[in-house]
Amino acid sequence: MSKIMEWVDARLPVTELLKSQATEYPTPKNLNYWWNFGSLALFVLIIMIASGLFLAMHYKADANQSFDVVEHIMRDVNFGWLLRYMHANGASFFFMVVYIHILRGMYYGSYRKPREILWWFGIILFFMMMATAFMGYVLPWGQMSYWGAAVITNLMSAIPVVGEDLVVWIWGGFSVGDPTLNRFFALHFLLPLVIFGVVILHLWALHAVHSNNPVGIDLHDEKDSIPFHPYYTIKDLYGMGVFLIIFCAFVFYAPNFFLEPDNYIPANPMQTPPHIVPEWYFLPFYAILRSIDFLGSFSKLAGVIAMGGAIAILFILPFLDRSPVRSFRYRPLSKQLFWMFVADCFVLGWVGYNPADAAIFEGALPLIVIGRTCTALYFSYFFLLWVITAFDIEKHTPVPKSI
Amino acid sequence: MNYQQVVQLHRFTKQASLRSATVLFFAAMLLVVVLPRGAVASGGVALPKQNWSFAGMFGQFDNAALKRGAQVAIQACMTCHSLKYIKFDQLRQFGYTEIEVKALAESQGRTKKDALLSGMDANAAKDAFGVVPPDLSLITKARKGYEDYTFAILTGYASANDLALATRVMADDKISDEEAKEVASALGLDMHHLDKMAEVLKRMAAGENFNRYFPGHFFAMPQPLSDGAVAYTDGTENSKIQLARDVVTFLAWAGEPTMMERKSLGVKVLLYLFVLTIMMYAVKRRIWARVH
Ligand code: HEC
Ligand code: HEM
Repeated sequence: MSKIMEWVDARLPVTELLKSQATEYPTPKNLNYWWNFGSLALFVLIIMIASGLFLAMHYKADANQSFDVVEHIMRDVNFGWLLRYMHANGASFFFMVVYIHILRGMYYGSYRKPREILWWFGIILFFMMMATAFMGYVLPWGQMSYWGAAVITNLMSAIPVVGEDLVVWIWGGFSVGDPTLNRFFALHFLLPLVIFGVVILHLWALHAVHSNNPVGIDLHDEKDSIPFHPYYTIKDLYGMGVFLIIFCAFVFYAPNFFLEPDNYIPANPMQTPPHIVPEWYFLPFYAILRSIDFLGSFSKLAGVIAMGGAIAILFILPFLDRSPVRSFRYRPLSKQLFWMFVADCFVLGWVGYNPADAAIFEGALPLIVIGRTCTALYFSYFFLLWVITAFDIEKHTPVPKSI
Repeated sequence: MNYQQVVQLHRFTKQASLRSATVLFFAAMLLVVVLPRGAVASGGVALPKQNWSFAGMFGQFDNAALKRGAQVAIQACMTCHSLKYIKFDQLRQFGYTEIEVKALAESQGRTKKDALLSGMDANAAKDAFGVVPPDLSLITKARKGYEDYTFAILTGYASANDLALATRVMADDKISDEEAKEVASALGLDMHHLDKMAEVLKRMAAGENFNRYFPGHFFAMPQPLSDGAVAYTDGTENSKIQLARDVVTFLAWAGEPTMMERKSLGVKVLLYLFVLTIMMYAVKRRIWARVH
């Protein structure tokens, strides 16, 4: 065995790579459980690619057949229901894990120097995940698939000059239809593999600069780090166990919890559902999109820009945050802003879930007003974080010298 | 202020700010969890919750109910509705014999290899009802409220008393406060919108299909079930409620014939994962003891 490894290592240094990048890769010893979510995200990606691959063996992209084919998978294919429920719920869990992963990074300042490129790869991954999930949701060709696709692709028409032609080009016709479904399937198959590639870049960038940690300081001391194996291999495995318990509880006992009942109705271009809602993980951004409704004919374009900007603004977060301290543990004001931001995202999600013309308190408070306020608050987070750090308004509490 | 006080104040504001942020966070969570259904229900009436034998982790389909339910579906629904994802032969899964299945299929002019397709064609249905009755294979999964909704629809039609009430109230073309209360409690209508109530009552009196639970209250399906509409052979009372319970049980099965397989596999998977995870936790503690 070792003879064979020697032979291989002389030609391709596999052992060295494994040692330096996995088993003996030095990791801060004080990482808390929020640091489990990166490996969890990769784990879910693998679940998605595996279940998706087997689904694709039975699936057909065809406007007249896709709905029936998904039911055929659910009913006739051995464990087809398991594949499909794993894949459909996996998408929701993927977003939960990644949202926590992103918020972890925001709280502990993991986006700060020298991790900017690592952070940017993360945002690119997030964008690609959203595209993948959006196109995947179209594949069962139910009412929400169809009308969700119609509403979202239609947004492109807001782009000046080329918008209208662009939408026709994306559709492959004059409405969402069979050509749209086919190309979405092709892209939905491809994108996760591209995502996998970008994950490798993400990890490369990570290993170049190493993990941040809850204290947020650079490690100076040898004894502050421990080898990845066995410490973090076992911790990650334990995390995956907990994750799988929760995931499987949904897959086996509430598999339709995250699915919209309307998507069990076959797509019908002649009948708009009373209330078109995207999947829960898009809701905050959908609310931001709809909250810009006061600019007349520019509203649509402005809404699209605000929606895209809500994520794109994360790209410049490393330059907005100017505090001398990374971790929010020692930054009372930032911490407060952070939790308001999180709360705000939940409220935005709730606004996005409800019809645009809904209101609460007997109609006294239209949701659109809440939506606009929360959109303003969303962007205020980034602005205020800059203000309190760039002008030294925030006084940080004492930061430990070592971990 | 001396140093001690400054430190104390600092500690206090730190705690207070963290506390207020946490409170805000949980308040938002609560808002998101509690409000969606209650505050913005779109005209739908709250559905009575039913106990289904197949609900919950250890829920099981009751085979006798499935057999009765299949009979109701075939005899009372298939005139208009299909269940295209179910074949007659599959009914053997819950206790029909091959001979019985053959007889059921033949009663519909089909063979046991055929799907449960309605004899009514789409155009005829459209002429008669204005819409094509939806396929029922997935109906319990395709509506908010799931089985409870389907059951509510089947049992939510106006009774003879309700119709008499509608006629009586609308006889003088206006609704007194007393009458509004009566109507609200009998039909589940909102007593704060009298003009809407009047319109509903008028349409009822004119003979349209009122249903308490259908969003908008009027739709094209005439009441499909009534006491004794289907003759049971196993001695079960064939009241409207019982017929509805049975047919909904059958429709839940038709929506997901693999449900029992899913639940029984789930128990094994979860047990395995629990044990595995506890073991991994123990190993993790053991390994990390060297660091702490
Ligand atoms: C006389 C024909 C007829 C019969 C018999 C019939 N239905 Fe219907 N059903 C319809 C029509 C027509 C619709 C469409 C109503 C609409 O959308 O306005 C419908 C719709 C429905 C719906 C959907 C309601 C919704 O939310 O859209 C359900 C559920 C339903 N039927 C169940 C049943 C069941 C169960 C039976 C048997 C017990 C049955 N039907 C028997 C004609 C019929
Ligand atoms: C980034 C990873 C992925 C995400 C986020 C994702 C997301 C989704 C979503 C949301 C759906 C709709 C689920 C439903 O309502 O039924 C779906 C369906 C589907 N996906 Fe994926 N997917 C991913 C990877 C893959 C891969 C790698 C493949 C193929 C190799 C694949 C193949 C399919 C197929 C065939 C369907 C249609 C069947 C169905 O609806 O269940 N997916 N995907």
